[in-house]
Amino acid sequence: MDTDIQNSNIRILCRKLVLPKLHDQSAEIPQIRWLIGSPFFPSPTIIATIRCINSADFSKESDDIRILLPKGFEVIGALIVKNDPNFENSVGEAVDAAVRLRKLLYGDAGGGFSEKDQMLVGGVVDLNNAGDVQFFTFKTGNVKKIEKISSILYEEQPEKYVWERGCLLQCELQIKFPVYYPPKNPKEVEKMYIRATEVVVSNLVDLKTTYIMEANGPSAGEQPVVLSGTDLELHKEMSSTTSQESKVKTFACSDLCLKAGKAISYTSIEEYADIIHVSILSNRSKRSLKPAAPIAEYYPVEDAKVLVVDHKLEVLCYAAKDLSLAAAVSKLIIPALVDQILSMRNKILSHLLTEHPQLQPYHFVPPGFFIPITIFYELSYGEMEMKQVETRKTLHIRFGLPLDRPLLRVVNAINLSVKDNKTTGSALRKGSSLLKDVHLGIPSSGVSGGTVSLIQGSYEYYHYLLDGFDDSGWGCAYRSLQAIVSWFRLQHYSGIDVPSHREIQQTLVEIGDKDPSFIGSREWIGAIELSFVLDKLLGVSCKVINVRSGAELPEKCRELALHFDTQGTPVMIGGGVLAYTLLGVDYNEVSGDCAFLILDPHYTGTDDLKRIVSGGWCGWKKAIDSKGKHFFLHDKFYNLLLPQRPNTV
Amino acid sequence: MVKAVVGEESRLKLIEDRLSQASVPSQVGLVIGKLSKSLDKGFVFDLIPTPLNDAGEPASSLIESGKDDGNKKKGSKSKPQSDSSALVIDRDWVSEHARQVSRMLLGGMKVIGVYIWVNESSFKNSTITLCQTVKGVCDAVPFMDTDMDERLLIHISYSPRRWTCRNCSLASNITSSSLRPCDFKMGKVLSSLKEFRCTYNFDMRLPVFSENGSSIRKMSEVLRRGLSTHAKELKGAKCLINGRLGIEDEQYAPDGLHEVEFLLPFMHDKSLEVYRQTEVVGVLVFHGSVCSFAYLNPKEPMSQALNEIKEDIIMSLQSRLEILCDEADRDSESIIDEDQEAGRHLSMGKQIPQLDLQLQREFSNLSFPRRVFIPWLAGTYICDYILPSETIEVLKDHCVELMSMEAPEDDSAILGLESEALYVTSASKSFWDIAASQLSSESKPDGLISKKSKKERSPGTSQLAKLGDLSIVAAFFVLIFSVVVGLALFVFRSQ
Repeated sequence: MDTDIQNSNIRILCRKLVLPKLHDQSAEIPQIRWLIGSPFFPSPTIIATIRCINSADFSKESDDIRILLPKGFEVIGALIVKNDPNFENSVGEAVDAAVRLRKLLYGDAGGGFSEKDQMLVGGVVDLNNAGDVQFFTFKTGNVKKIEKISSILYEEQPEKYVWERGCLLQCELQIKFPVYYPPKNPKEVEKMYIRATEVVVSNLVDLKTTYIMEANGPSAGEQPVVLSGTDLELHKEMSSTTSQESKVKTFACSDLCLKAGKAISYTSIEEYADIIHVSILSNRSKRSLKPAAPIAEYYPVEDAKVLVVDHKLEVLCYAAKDLSLAAAVSKLIIPALVDQILSMRNKILSHLLTEHPQLQPYHFVPPGFFIPITIFYELSYGEMEMKQVETRKTLHIRFGLPLDRPLLRVVNAINLSVKDNKTTGSALRKGSSLLKDVHLGIPSSGVSGGTVSLIQGSYEYYHYLLDGFDDSGWGCAYRSLQAIVSWFRLQHYSGIDVPSHREIQQTLVEIGDKDPSFIGSREWIGAIELSFVLDKLLGVSCKVINVRSGAELPEKCRELALHFDTQGTPVMIGGGVLAYTLLGVDYNEVSGDCAFLILDPHYTGTDDLKRIVSGGWCGWKKAIDSKGKHFFLHDKFYNLLLPQRPNTV
Repeated sequence: MVKAVVGEESRLKLIEDRLSQASVPSQVGLVIGKLSKSLDKGFVFDLIPTPLNDAGEPASSLIESGKDDGNKKKGSKSKPQSDSSALVIDRDWVSEHARQVSRMLLGGMKVIGVYIWVNESSFKNSTITLCQTVKGVCDAVPFMDTDMDERLLIHISYSPRRWTCRNCSLASNITSSSLRPCDFKMGKVLSSLKEFRCTYNFDMRLPVFSENGSSIRKMSEVLRRGLSTHAKELKGAKCLINGRLGIEDEQYAPDGLHEVEFLLPFMHDKSLEVYRQTEVVGVLVFHGSVCSFAYLNPKEPMSQALNEIKEDIIMSLQSRLEILCDEADRDSESIIDEDQEAGRHLSMGKQIPQLDLQLQREFSNLSFPRRVFIPWLAGTYICDYILPSETIEVLKDHCVELMSMEAPEDDSAILGLESEALYVTSASKSFWDIAASQLSSESKPDGLISKKSKKERSPGTSQLAKLGDLSIVAAFFVLIFSVVVGLALFVFRSQ
């Protein structure tokens, strides 16, 4: 094996290479990680890494990757993670894995955009050596010739790099067709279904098929571009650089990109990336021959049944902005749709008649990623069924996501379609008129040298008199509970609505904690009741910390900080006559100085953020303030309720 | 509510002259034009007198007690004498006329009311009759797209010579208040019309369900239902106008002919909404093309033109189906008198719309008449339908009788944009071939071309085609037989 050391470098766009931590139980060693690049970027550039989870079955692995990775991104190499790598052996493994997977994915030709002799990247990580990564490149033509990469360039603003150079193409396609079969021979249905999908695939490149491409957003001033079958470059080999100018349709993706890097900071892919919507229609007026008068022909049959198959496809593709729209359709959109329909077919073929599979693609941008990935979910199962949870767990492992955070549920999916954006946007605003995350932007605690530990994620502020419900004087613990439930809701652990006072009381009666007369009463509840309700409604268990006096609370700061760091859930403080929600602590371990971030449900005013903050209804409280006043009363006991984050995905 | 109506000056003047010269006491006919909801305006293109009914009588007449014909003519010119005369209108006949005429009109042209040539006092005596006539016409040819509950009633009075136009509201019961006067003037209407043209190809695959699955059995019913589903689909279709994507409510300025192309969802069969895993007894493939025109007033938004052309496409298919059903009805009436044996073969083709598809166990087909376009006023066209068995003469008769126009002398002026119906497949193809090739037949034009050359001149039904084959074989045998017999006779004689 030749090993050259050259003055070459590699550009890495992941903020940090997502590498398994050694204490991570799911991290089997050794493992393969696929290096994701794009044919539109100078080689070698690594955009993301995805873990290989079928190292024993590359054919299945390639099927998975083909669907989850949008066209326009591709596997450009493999990274071998080992405890004690023999560099030489590992290099061989990386080369072998990359070449094998690419062959399955893109065939011998190397796919639509890649050259025959593609430069690929390999990498070896020695976990014993502080995650030291060594990269090398090789060409598919001669895998024996390895070139080591001397320097690694970490891009400062990777999302900018990706979305300034390219845009996202989104294409939704709902197809519905009948599948006829003889009931005597149900196996035949598979054959007919396969035939039907072949017809779909061939119709995609039919001359009548018309592709309409439009810029995202209602205010889009650009005219949509209409491409008919004849405008597409379906039967020619071409690359992104040699687009023919002689074509009538010389529109490039950039003609439909409106944002053009106007967004300053990256918030979400929907906001940041240029998105082009592609819709597929069938032109009913293409004249290929003299139109003939209508005719009705009846074909009778003995013993046949019809099954209506309904597929909802949605593909995302990444295209360089200088790529012509015609090439974007023929090289990215159509192959992506074909892959999706064939994959869908393989998944549902065997149980076409027994079940009614409802596979649907969803797109996610998991934390740490800034390119979307596509996942099929089977909607006929409940989302919390074991099989679905297992599927998600596997995906979490693949993308290096924590196994106790629901990040790939349907609600986490990104929504790129124009119409839906408008409707859901307004619905959201209507639905959640409540203030969210009121603690953002409040004055600091004043603890010098303290470490701030806060809740992770969003919550809604529930307080007295909210929604016109008069609970002044008795409802503070109910409001605190509502805020906690809203946190679980917004973190997608649960889809249930935030319970009303009455519903909370009903729940307590149902579990036998209270008498039926409790419903509709104005009786207080405490931390213990809250834990019952959380368990009943959300299946969330809680840890309870008791202190006999408010003076003891600062001693619990270390424990609370740990709670916020590991669990990150809001804490309810019940004590004496008052209930609060605790959102964080600021604690200086050395001096013992501390402050509590309190969300106070006793606020009776309107949802005016300024008033709430200036009135101290949400703010840092020291156990003893500057005037010597005690925030927690010394003669009262306090219960702290620490909801535990569900260990699920 | 239409408040102002503009009549095509060149036509109406001509009609007025014709009426005054004909010196008939009354004449009823149809108003052809357009009611524009968006402009609150009406446009009158032409007036067409209703022809004599089956009994050879005019559709309208004035009944005067104790006066003979000579007096009637005379009396009609002088007001006092005709006070007692009442207008009688053969309403059913006028409605039938409207039904037939509307089949011949293209998009953006409709039967929008009734005109009456009668003296002032008879008009005043007969407003209810006239309103009922208008209502009858409206019911016979409802507007498909809009919910306009009004039609025009134009009165041409002879002394004094004057045109008045009234708006007849049909929403509630007909009373004297149903009629409201509206502003009427003459002007140029036809010459400024914009023309939109479209060829629409369709291929419906309509499954026919077994008895317990559906109550719809007749071929015509299956087709009608397929059409109404398709109409909904077409309503939401996107379209290209001269290759550009049509934007709603955009005014479309340039003159000349505009090509419209319709874009429908890709392989999303709307008619399949309701069922899963159902028993079927067959599939009805309904395919072909419709050539369509629509005319638009330059002030109307472009979206209106698209609605008109969509309506024209669906109306054209419905009209053709109606024509076939009418034929079948007429045929089944006449078949009783005829010799059973001879009638059977003859009627097989015509009876196809009435076939019960749940019982039909053999391949059958139904060729729709093709649409031809006949030059009408100011460069516009009207259309007619020709069955495979009919000739262009039928069409000339229709022009003269229904449209009261002269038949085009030059046959080449008639646009035959549609060719005769083509089989998508040969009759030997089975249900399973169709099922496997769903929706792909359209996409294989080369296949069709080859079929076309083979099938173009073939008779209308496969039944007949098979019969033809059979008779050739039979004739061949007869020939051989006669030769043999002849030879035998010859040999026998020569002995």
